[in-house]
Amino acid sequence: MIAAVERSASQIDDLDTLVRLHWPRVFRFALASLRDPDAAGSVAQDCFLRAYRSRERFRGECSTQAWLMRIAVNLIRDYARNRRLQFWKRARASAVDLEAAGQWVPDGGASPERGALAKEQLAAVWNAAAGLSERQRTVFLLRFVEDMDLLEIAAATGMKEGTVKAHLFRALQAVRERMGRSQ
Amino acid sequence: MSQHLSSGEISQWMIGERTPQQEQHVRQCSECGAEVARMEAALGLFRDSVRHWSDGQVRVPRPLTPEPRPLPVRWALVAAALLVLAAIPIYRNAQDRQRQAEIARADALLLEQVDAEVSRAIPRPMEPLVKLVSWDFSSTDGSDEKTRNEEIR
Repeated sequence: MIAAVERSASQIDDLDTLVRLHWPRVFRFALASLRDPDAAGSVAQDCFLRAYRSRERFRGECSTQAWLMRIAVNLIRDYARNRRLQFWKRARASAVDLEAAGQWVPDGGASPERGALAKEQLAAVWNAAAGLSERQRTVFLLRFVEDMDLLEIAAATGMKEGTVKAHLFRALQAVRERMGRSQ
Repeated sequence: MSQHLSSGEISQWMIGERTPQQEQHVRQCSECGAEVARMEAALGLFRDSVRHWSDGQVRVPRPLTPEPRPLPVRWALVAAALLVLAAIPIYRNAQDRQRQAEIARADALLLEQVDAEVSRAIPRPMEPLVKLVSWDFSSTDGSDEKTRNEEIR
């Protein structure tokens, strides 16, 4: 445990290593949250610089990943609040055409019917995510894109585990409802 | 457990909240099994699509160099005020020194003039008379002088 904390602390001291190890995940979370590659890049960069500057405050109570995600969650929230454009709000209003991500389906040699069904399901999840509240979307992305467990999400968002569960439950209900409608 | 899972129970299942009875039911009930599989497949597709999109966009930046933290404005103002306060006596001191140097230079000049005056054999106002006298001396020979002296006596 002590070794892990020391390893985490030394990782944070070395900004290049920190970026190399964690950039893809932080960027991905920012991209999924903001759906704007430029904004996601800015948020990720800001996240690492903030983490580096406040590294003295990191005492190893959680993993480096959870700590970085916590910073990213706050930055994304601030970004979304400051920038009124908010892609997700527009998406909610217009059920936006999901060209960039929502239409992607892996080439698994599936039949055209299966492929079409998969696209439909995927679009339903993207649209459902667009309709979620900010907190619901955050926990939804952390759980189902970043594969974080409930305790890690609680650490990253500053919520209690029970609150995380409640947000996830509502998010999943919204997704199920949207999927039901799309059938 | 013979009843199908409700919508809420399926959502809880996806969170990881499930009882052994529900697990057994999902294993045995093709309808509930299919519903759970459909949800899992949709969420898996969503995760893969986000990752695929992100992988296509991600550019790990060149080494980030944290810029030195800018001083807060308040501290910058305080520092500027202190600098001005510290500069005032230095400026005054420099002015005083300059003034004293000018006075010293004027004094030195005056002293030189005084020295020059003191070193004269005859005061400046009397210099024309001396010239006059000198001219008289130069224009007469010794006999005239002798005559004048006798007259005086």
